[in-house]
Amino acid sequence: MRLHEIERGDGLFNRLLIGFISLVSRMRLPDAARVAFYHKEFFASPMGAWTQAAMRGPSPWSVGERELMAALVAKWNSCAFCVGAHGAVAAKEMQRSAVDAALLDFRAAPISESLKATLAFLEILTLRPTALTAQDARAVLHAGVSSEALMDAIALCALFNIVTRYADALDFAVPTAEELGRAASMLLKRGYAS
Amino acid sequence: MTISRPDHRALAEALRRRVLDGPGKTDRALRRAMAERAAGGPAVEAPYDDLARQIGASAVAVTDEQVARVLRATGSEKAVFEVIAAAALGAGLLRWRQGIKALDEATDAPA
Repeated sequence: MRLHEIERGDGLFNRLLIGFISLVSRMRLPDAARVAFYHKEFFASPMGAWTQAAMRGPSPWSVGERELMAALVAKWNSCAFCVGAHGAVAAKEMQRSAVDAALLDFRAAPISESLKATLAFLEILTLRPTALTAQDARAVLHAGVSSEALMDAIALCALFNIVTRYADALDFAVPTAEELGRAASMLLKRGYAS
Repeated sequence: MTISRPDHRALAEALRRRVLDGPGKTDRALRRAMAERAAGGPAVEAPYDDLARQIGASAVAVTDEQVARVLRATGSEKAVFEVIAAAALGAGLLRWRQGIKALDEATDAPA
């Protein structure tokens, strides 16, 4: 973590809160959660509101599929923290083997054709956003994905293009596999609202 | 009770307004310039340009020194956080706009 104020918490209440949560969860509070407590009204509140809606709100996509999309966006952006964190949440909602296969090569993974078509769209949107065309969107719609579902995926993709960038710019510490598993349970239970 | 679908357009606009137009430790003009630069826009003054461009292109390659230079220029970690958040937001909102444009054109929906 490159900013010490985020690491320790801004203000006495947040410092005590970070210490308390770390104590009861028996793990270092992940940096993503520390950012959620920091300078909250400026960023975490509006960011958390959109992220909660996109990741946990009503959608044709399951929570596991959405977490897998987030992990793939993180992979395309080379964000180790987010691949680990969201891959771990996806693995609690889907088969671990399917998540691992998708992270390796989503086109060959045992996931639905509609999810594969959407991931192909999100890959272009993440890596070559200005090259994306209406034809790319039509290909997803023709694969049986509704326009509402594609809009949800676009929102999620935009959000995790934000998250991965501040995670890496701030140099988030990557938790151990055991810590990621525990953090995933917390994320499933509590969601993203800040 | 029916739970309504998320209004992504409104939520994206609320986030943009708060981070780029709202009060903060840094000038709004600097935050907007960071967001534009990370989305492929024009250069910003040093030392901000290097950090904004890097966050837009490949944030995993951001260095301690790039962040330290911005900290020396602003003198405050909250200010550094604001410009990092603004740059990340700019890159994300570029994807949001491009994705929705492609979808709207494919469905002939109003932008």
